[in-house]
Amino acid sequence: MLRMISTRVATSVVTLFLAAFFVFFAVQALPGDVAEQLLGQNATEEAVATLREQLGLDTNVWVRFLEWLGNAVTGDFGTSLVSGASVSSTLWTAFSHSLLIAVPAIVVGITVSLLLGILAGARRGTGTDSGVSVLSLIAMSIPEFVVATLLVLALAIAIPVFPSVVLEGPDATFGDLLPAIVLPCITLVVAMGAYIIRAMRSSTIDGLATEYATTATLKGVPRRRVLWRHVAPSAVLPVLPVVSINVAWLLGGVVVVESVFNYPGLGKLMIDSVSTRDLPVLQAIAVLSAVVYVTVNLLADLLALAADPRQRTLHQPRRRRSTPTPVPQEDLR
Amino acid sequence: MTPSIDRRTLLGGALGGAAAFGLAACGAPTLSVPEQAATGTARRGATLRIARPAASAAEMLDPASSLSAYEYLGALYNRLVRLNREGETVPDLATDWSSNADATVWDFRLRSGVRFHDGKRLTARDVRYTFEHILDPDTASPQAGALSIVAGIDAVDETSVRFRLTTPNAEFPSLLTAYQCYVIPEDSADTIGHTGIGTGPFILESYTPAGAGAVRANDDYFDGRATLDRIEFYSIQDTSARVNALLSRQVDLLSQTNLDNPTARVVANSAGTTVARVTNAQWYTIPMLATSEEFADPRMRQAMKLAYDPPAIVSTALQGTGTAGWDNPVPPELAAHLDVQREYDPEKARSILKQIGREGFSTRIYTSAYEPNFTAIAVAFADQVKQAGIDLRITNVAADSYYTQVWMSEPLMVSYWFTGQPVDQLLNQIFRTGSSYNESAWSNPQFDQLLDAARADTNDITRRQKYQDAQQLVIDDGADLTPVFGDRLVGLSEDVVNYDEYGFEFDYLALGLKED
Repeated sequence: MLRMISTRVATSVVTLFLAAFFVFFAVQALPGDVAEQLLGQNATEEAVATLREQLGLDTNVWVRFLEWLGNAVTGDFGTSLVSGASVSSTLWTAFSHSLLIAVPAIVVGITVSLLLGILAGARRGTGTDSGVSVLSLIAMSIPEFVVATLLVLALAIAIPVFPSVVLEGPDATFGDLLPAIVLPCITLVVAMGAYIIRAMRSSTIDGLATEYATTATLKGVPRRRVLWRHVAPSAVLPVLPVVSINVAWLLGGVVVVESVFNYPGLGKLMIDSVSTRDLPVLQAIAVLSAVVYVTVNLLADLLALAADPRQRTLHQPRRRRSTPTPVPQEDLR
Repeated sequence: MTPSIDRRTLLGGALGGAAAFGLAACGAPTLSVPEQAATGTARRGATLRIARPAASAAEMLDPASSLSAYEYLGALYNRLVRLNREGETVPDLATDWSSNADATVWDFRLRSGVRFHDGKRLTARDVRYTFEHILDPDTASPQAGALSIVAGIDAVDETSVRFRLTTPNAEFPSLLTAYQCYVIPEDSADTIGHTGIGTGPFILESYTPAGAGAVRANDDYFDGRATLDRIEFYSIQDTSARVNALLSRQVDLLSQTNLDNPTARVVANSAGTTVARVTNAQWYTIPMLATSEEFADPRMRQAMKLAYDPPAIVSTALQGTGTAGWDNPVPPELAAHLDVQREYDPEKARSILKQIGREGFSTRIYTSAYEPNFTAIAVAFADQVKQAGIDLRITNVAADSYYTQVWMSEPLMVSYWFTGQPVDQLLNQIFRTGSSYNESAWSNPQFDQLLDAARADTNDITRRQKYQDAQQLVIDDGADLTPVFGDRLVGLSEDVVNYDEYGFEFDYLALGLKED
């Protein structure tokens, strides 16, 4: 068990290192170096050379990679080429703003979607099921920027309840942002909910068809209790990866949604740094996104390990050599 | 699931697209927007909110810089002289000016009793410092090239400043009307970028590069106090988000935003918002690179002109919101404008093509979403020149590399400039041999000589004639087509009164909000 966890953690660290490596060298491979990007086309040779020296671009690329990595581990991503401000502080401000829409969206979105998925699965074939399924299919097919635009039209322009954009930019206070997070949150819940509902529905249907569920029903356990006590907990397991991908997607800053609402989060910071070629900020965002993805997936794996005893044994190499014996379903609970 | 940035390009059209979709069913009528912004009495003590596109985080309040935050400039500063709508130079901080007989020395007399926002008195030394700062190579000011004829500047006394030029220039004062030439206090180069201390109608309250900021009315302004109490500026990068902010009444005015036609309809038809036109504010061009194999031959360029009808482009691409250019780059408002209509004859174009062995000529015309009307103009132009058997393939490329990869390197594209430049600077910067803004790389020694002769001519009437002869040369031989001048469609609240914008400047004194 412990060995398995440490293997997962080690894999995550290697993944992160590789991500950092590719991010750094992908940026190096961009045409024209940073000095030329910064000074523009009309720069003189001397100006470029001076800046190159100032930025340390004339030293060996591997040395620079190690230096950058060393600093990055301590949370120092250097200074922005455009504003001259510390990348870390810019990054954390934007990330905290993104969290402000991501966390409520995650809490509400996951709870509601899981419940709806279970409901649709349990009432398979009824009007409730068709209703939930059709709605989630529609939500899945509409791109989130259209959802965002429709919400703005309805709740900011036609009935002006919420602001359509954040005006204050990165300096916005918590109080400024609070009324503005509602529409982005709804958009994100709609965008991610559909996938979770679909996955949870199929998983619940599979769970209800298992032998242990049938046995429980035959023994006279009330249907509601079979569903919530026996089927739902194990049916959530296969949905966990879907949930974790969605959570990571939300935490990484949702570019399109933040852009529509002019929301000063990580996604908008990324667009701005792409358009101004602010490479240190871009590198930092890419690394932070990688950290978020890896961490969330690691947590999902660990959660699955904690909840599902089968996963603790099946993945051990020495068991694979012998013929795997199916674990009797009854032993599960 | 992970969104890609490409989707963002769809955003611009998302809102307008929805509206156009609705209209398509009943057949879209021609775009009708009010000819002029509302005028009337403004209420006292109002705060106006302006949304602007977010510039780079490196933007600053130094007027000389290429990264200046231009909406703030007109509120905070004054120039020596301004340009009126007829293209004539009129007083601002300078009350009058004169030159010596050969126009190589220019004396300006300053308004007396003008104070900067920090209480210091404006003197000739501040003016001298301002122009030395613009000409300083470290500033890298876009106006430094045009002003490179300045050999020296003297502060003669408190209110007299003298410019000594290397060559005669009878149009010199007009070169000081550029928006880089706002006057800043002496020795302020290091701080002006964030203090914004000028002599203008508003005083800086707060400012964040690429973020929010505010200015408040200057009670001691020499030309009377502004109508508004405060102006708040907000940065919104995405165009449709900016429009949404206006529609939801979070802001009152969108600056630097030429609405595309479908969006203009939505804004004009929504409750509480309207569209104002800035007549002929956008000068659209189609540069044919004179150094390219395709367009090196003047006869080929002549055929391209003969083949198309500019009014047809105004009515299709701009839905009537503009004026036909007839390949003359000088806007019709300017007093120096040469009012001639060149020949339009697709059959003649066809026979010229036959003569030079280029029947059925085909090439690409580049366009991008950089400006909302580029593609419409490219399509309308390609459609027109078909009459002469010319086949142009529309090639749409990414907006963020359009002016670095395509401009001045591909043979044919659509481009634009803001109007509001004095005629001398316009012709010298964009058409003169070797100028860094000469987008068609056209070179005509006779044209260059005419411009030099005009600059040396101190007689107003014969000088204007020379500028008009120069325009005729551009029309006959030039490589930069001017199909149309487009009106800028500005989205604003119905509460805004006395909105006026010309070239790079708002009328900040009169601008106000309607009485309740």
